[in-house]
Amino acid sequence: MLELYTSEPNTFFLKPLIALAEKQVTFTTRYFDATSLEQFADGFPTDLESGLQLEREGPLLVHDGTLISSSFFMLEYISEGLPGMSLIPAAAYDAYRARAWGQFLGANLGSSVPVLGAAKYLQPHLATLDAAWVDGCIAKIEPVERRAGWLALRDGTYTAGCLKAAQTRLQAAVARTEKALQEGPWLAGPAFSVADIDAYPMLCVLPDLASSVVNPGATPRIMEYVGRIAARDSVRAARRVARTDHPERQFVPGPEASRWG
Amino acid sequence: MSVTLYHWEPNANSGKPMLTLAEKGVAYQSRYLDLLQFDQHKPAYLALNPDGTIPAMVHGSRVLTESTPMMEYIDDEFAGPPLKPEDAKARWRMRWWMRFFDSYFAPSLSMIGWSIFVGPAARQRPPEELRAAIERIPLESRRIAWRKAVFNEFSAEELAESKRRVLFATLALERHLSRFKWIAGDTYSLGDINGFNLGYALPLSQPDHCNDTKTPHIMEWLRQIYERPAARETWSKGRTQMAARITILERNPRKPV
Repeated sequence: MLELYTSEPNTFFLKPLIALAEKQVTFTTRYFDATSLEQFADGFPTDLESGLQLEREGPLLVHDGTLISSSFFMLEYISEGLPGMSLIPAAAYDAYRARAWGQFLGANLGSSVPVLGAAKYLQPHLATLDAAWVDGCIAKIEPVERRAGWLALRDGTYTAGCLKAAQTRLQAAVARTEKALQEGPWLAGPAFSVADIDAYPMLCVLPDLASSVVNPGATPRIMEYVGRIAARDSVRAARRVARTDHPERQFVPGPEASRWG
Repeated sequence: MSVTLYHWEPNANSGKPMLTLAEKGVAYQSRYLDLLQFDQHKPAYLALNPDGTIPAMVHGSRVLTESTPMMEYIDDEFAGPPLKPEDAKARWRMRWWMRFFDSYFAPSLSMIGWSIFVGPAARQRPPEELRAAIERIPLESRRIAWRKAVFNEFSAEELAESKRRVLFATLALERHLSRFKWIAGDTYSLGDINGFNLGYALPLSQPDHCNDTKTPHIMEWLRQIYERPAARETWSKGRTQMAARITILERNPRKPV
């Protein structure tokens, strides 16, 4: 049995939905509202890895009782462990590039896009919920690193300086991506792959969250790339999981930025 | 196509492709870069890897600079014993733990290591020379890291948090290895190679937290990897006391004469 625990199809949650649709795999959707902390309710599946996972919040794939967490490796699992076409590039060097992109964008976009999105959309959403209930939920989150992602939205961590630092991390990643797309239509080799499925959900929200960085004048290739991927059948199918009018405005805390500075 | 590996000591990121190549039986040209002499920020190397990070591997015309994806490339590209499990769930587990090592465990452990070892070693040179060397580092994140290490700018809070995380990660790893013999499950894999490079000296650097009483599964796992011929061969390439720490894993340490 294959079950995907997913919230609105945006950022991390969008990735496996696209990959499963590309492979045309049948699965059961277990929907939860991550912005309202439903992943911390009793009965939500958890184990050592899903509890420690560094993305902090994200989708969970349960395959015959095994919990698969961490979105890039979930994409590789979907490619290798489920029937259908491979989404990992066939040539070893292209596969290396796909994995290097996953690591680079995970560290740089992963630690910045959710900060900008959460400041704009999640923080006001949490303010509409019962404050004592939210604070009570957050206080119980383990481990402390995962709790910190939510506490930051309540304790004044999201200063102008914090948001500017997130924009700076974003700029280097965007510049590298724009440059790479000058050399070919996809990030890792001649075909659409896990690297593109990993990158697209983080890039497609940037014209809204960081319009001065990602726009038709500054990043024409990223704009074209995002539009081209949005038109794929798999992406349209993935978006149909949405239960709100604006899934692209649903954000949760992502991985922390490097502690080395 | 020939393989050339630019690396420092068999330790952390440099040791990952070194041990992987040894396990696969792939011969390579070794180019030792002295991290403490900032060899990795000199023009000849920056022409190859503009980020100025170590290691880098050149295979024919291909240049690879990210150590964990590099390990997968070595396994995919060369003959020799497979170092990724066949089973997709075991593969996922291998990759999940490699990310935990790379992004959680290693940064905290290395912050402690840099404050104790790299910083004091680098400070043997005149401060103005060090400042100039740091200014030549291409990545801002690496400039910040070197500045902190060289001028001892780690705050007490940062170091305390790193120590807390090292203990937390050690306990998580012990829990994992009490469920599985190897990182991926039943078979030795790239996950073990990655974890060994991170953790081979833990019994020496963290004797209160990593020892036969508190973490028996980690101790046995480290010793079994240490006893592999590829690990012996790889650590024999070390030039400093850092690599020599590996002898802590001898089951029957020689008594001092």
